[in-house]
Amino acid sequence: MKKSLVIILLYAFILVPVPGAWGLSVDEIVSKANLASYYGGDDGAARARMQITDRQGRIREREFTILRKDVEEGGRQYYYVYFHKPGDVRKTVFMVHKRPDGDDDRWLYLPALDLVKRIAASDKRTSFMGSHFLYEDVSGRSIAADTHTLTEETGEYWVLDNLPRDPGSVEFTHYLIWIDKKTFLPVKAEYYNSRGKVYRRVEALEVREIDGIPTVTRSKVQDLDTGGNTEMTFTRIKYNQGISNEIFTERYLRNPPRKFISR
Amino acid sequence: MKRILILAAASLLGVAAVVHAAELPFNGFLEYSLGSRIVDDDTASGGILLHETRFQVDIIHDADSGSLQFRADFLLDTVTAESLTDVREAYILLTPSSNLDLKVGRQILTWGTGDFVFLNDLFPKDWQSFFIGRDDEYLKKPASAVRATWFGDSLNLDFVWIPVFEPDSFISGERISYWDFRQNRKAGPADGIIEPVRPDKTVANSQAAARLFGNVGNWEAAIYGFDGNYGQPKGYDSVLGKFDYPRLQTWGASLRGSLLGGIGNAETAWYRSLDDSGSNDPNIVNPEYRVLVGFSRSVGRDQTLGVQTYLEHALEFPDIGRSEQDRLWITLRYTGLFMQQNLTLSWFSFYSPNEKDAYVRPKVSYKVSDEVRTTFGANLFFGETENSFFGQFKDNSNVYARVRYSF
Repeated sequence: MKKSLVIILLYAFILVPVPGAWGLSVDEIVSKANLASYYGGDDGAARARMQITDRQGRIREREFTILRKDVEEGGRQYYYVYFHKPGDVRKTVFMVHKRPDGDDDRWLYLPALDLVKRIAASDKRTSFMGSHFLYEDVSGRSIAADTHTLTEETGEYWVLDNLPRDPGSVEFTHYLIWIDKKTFLPVKAEYYNSRGKVYRRVEALEVREIDGIPTVTRSKVQDLDTGGNTEMTFTRIKYNQGISNEIFTERYLRNPPRKFISR
Repeated sequence: MKRILILAAASLLGVAAVVHAAELPFNGFLEYSLGSRIVDDDTASGGILLHETRFQVDIIHDADSGSLQFRADFLLDTVTAESLTDVREAYILLTPSSNLDLKVGRQILTWGTGDFVFLNDLFPKDWQSFFIGRDDEYLKKPASAVRATWFGDSLNLDFVWIPVFEPDSFISGERISYWDFRQNRKAGPADGIIEPVRPDKTVANSQAAARLFGNVGNWEAAIYGFDGNYGQPKGYDSVLGKFDYPRLQTWGASLRGSLLGGIGNAETAWYRSLDDSGSNDPNIVNPEYRVLVGFSRSVGRDQTLGVQTYLEHALEFPDIGRSEQDRLWITLRYTGLFMQQNLTLSWFSFYSPNEKDAYVRPKVSYKVSDEVRTTFGANLFFGETENSFFGQFKDNSNVYARVRYSF
């Protein structure tokens, strides 16, 4: 009897997650950071501008309106992206039904052809619109794709090391992420290559509270190998606008919702 | 030729500079295109198939109740020595009730699942533009139409009414040579342009198309119907010596969805050639079945491969415009983006194992800046015989270059 009690206590001790600061486990930190970065409010709308600087210092710009709706908190989401600039992609719409546990469904609407195209799900680590941001930076990397360990804790940040579960599917060996203790927003991420060198850095340059939700309004990705970088600025950010599920259907690809998109 | 190029480049730069400085209250582009045959054609005097400057104006106006869209090309066509206005879109889009969208006016219409292969999309097309190297968007020709789309809980209904028949821009001999079955030889610009008899402008001759669509599990499913005329002159009146557009009714269905890590699609259509009822008239197109199966998936970072198999089966043979009773195509598409997505390499090919012909569309496009895109490409036709579908265009194989300034 005594022996089994000891075993139970021992099990309990082992199974209870090792607490980080403020009594949070690593998984709890990761999950809260994921919610803070990608699931603010039940839905959100914003105008985004990207400034892409290539290795030779040439600058290109992108401008789009992005609408997001959470189907499940921390799970499935819908995204609708309407392009304003540059001219050759103006009026094009890109729509994603995101599934963290499987392939996303993606559509593209080409207005000049009135064509609703279904796009094959692809590598989520491809460039978003020719910028240094990747699809995963914009819509989030599945938290189940990596194993996470707390490597450092300061007064302000938790620093987590993230190892990919499937190293063959990504170009990094691991990445460090700095999570703000007050907002749970990741404010910096550094990606390491196989030579143990940081080759890519994503940073939040400005965080503002919008409708009571801490929001990254300006961020930057640097490609440290080539020196190229992209800066993204969000304006006209609004949360909980009552964006309905039907916005994310073929109807609104052909007829962009005027209520949310000003052209 | 060199002087023309320099002149064109200079004027393009000049207009671009003005446009850039003026901050115009509309969007659009300015484009210069030049394309030429790479083989001799006995039926044509010159080799230039494409030589034009295009200025597109694009204006949208949104209000609470709806949107107005106007988009038109002002075109200086050096090949035909004419200037013309091509109104691509001029429509009003309204939402009269929460589950109804209404689009009235000149518009581009597209549906169906094929990639450059059309079964249930009977809306006007411009095949000549496609073959001579204009941008892909010009394959679709606008129509003046009313489109009403009703959205239900699980089923939606699209209905299109085109009051006055709008034919395809087919291969009429204006620039491209073709096989003339009447004379049993090739014909081209030297033989004049085919001008078919159009259906009378009556309500009975208006064109109607419908699509019932919705999701079946994870698949996008649709049923289609069309009642109107063939967009191409597939009828020949040997007494009048004139081509016409026979009456057509079609029924079809399609499916599209995620499959094996890619996108799979299937579509079928039944073409009822209404003027050909009864005995087989070889001068009027025969009824036919069409079937398409396609699959596309990513094959690397920013690279996609698509394959389609397409079969067209005429119920009777001989038939107008056919060298075989069946037309079997295998199409292949490759698209790759490189250099921060500024360089696009693409390939599209049609290959027919039974007609023994092929059509290849390689293309390279580079974005010099956000405003300027240059495109180089080719339209290459191959065939064992001169009367097969693609083989007849063998002497029209061409290369082209385009430069576009968007604003």
